[in-house]
Amino acid sequence: MSVLKDVLSELFSMFVSDARLTAAILVLVLIAAALIDATALPPLAGGGVLLLGSIVILVASVRRAARARARSPRK
Amino acid sequence: MLDWSTAAPAIGAAFLASVVEVVEAFTIVLVVATLRGWRPAVLGTGAALATLAAIVVILGPLLDRVPLHLLQLVIGVLLLLFGIGWLRKASLRAAGVLPLHDESAIFARETAELSAEVKRQQTSQDWIAGIAAYKAVLLEGLEVIFIVIAVGAGRGLLWPASLGALAACVLVLGIGVIAHRPLSNVPENTLKFGVGVMLSAFGVFWTGEGLGVDWPGQDLALLAFAALFLVAGLLSARMVRQPAGGGL
Repeated sequence: MSVLKDVLSELFSMFVSDARLTAAILVLVLIAAALIDATALPPLAGGGVLLLGSIVILVASVRRAARARARSPRK
Repeated sequence: MLDWSTAAPAIGAAFLASVVEVVEAFTIVLVVATLRGWRPAVLGTGAALATLAAIVVILGPLLDRVPLHLLQLVIGVLLLLFGIGWLRKASLRAAGVLPLHDESAIFARETAELSAEVKRQQTSQDWIAGIAAYKAVLLEGLEVIFIVIAVGAGRGLLWPASLGALAACVLVLGIGVIAHRPLSNVPENTLKFGVGVMLSAFGVFWTGEGLGVDWPGQDLALLAFAALFLVAGLLSARMVRQPAGGGL
């Protein structure tokens, strides 16, 4: 059972390394999907939001993690 | 006929990601071999490879039954989560915020932990060592399988991506068997950074295609996305760099 537990834990941590990062990416995908499906904008606009949003999320997440680490280095 | 503008990033991502994962698994297998001999190490590794093969044989055909757009969307979102997670961690390590992955330190720690575990269990010590090798290869192998499927399934590149992963296994194991010590000289964070860049680019590409976006330049857009993620990763590492930064 320990192996199965470790496998499930590994699979979870593969995609949820940081809960806020995961949530931000999922919200971004929902926004891009809504722009493409529910507005008259061309689909490429939704694609652009997805691309730029991913980059903004990456940079913000790195900065947030660095700040958190600076506040509590052992965390 | 292979379209190399898509195949090259897919094969490259599968190869580099597999190098990272196989190096990590090899360290644990080497711990087992050093403590209890090669028999439990090889048996554990073989059992894990058989389990991974069974997973591929069982789940592989199911992929053909999923509509392409849905497959692209699901894999794209998973790739975004996985790729940006890797890139974030690699940027933090490059900046010195997180310590670099050190295979020699991991080898020493795992050796101490497995020795203690083996001492606690007077019976079936080889079994415990074999299970340790099994778990290491299975867990790292799952990541390799995901990456191969993720970068290969959307464009019928499963075989080329699998060959990229297999080449990495052969290369790392070959060097590891000759060196017979943890492969601590592999520039793991640089590889992880590069793989994170490529997986994030694939993630945006597949998610967009799954949502119905027709990317300008088709597959060549992947290269532009990768360039953007590379710059973003380097810039974010630079923004948070510590005085004794780890570097790439």
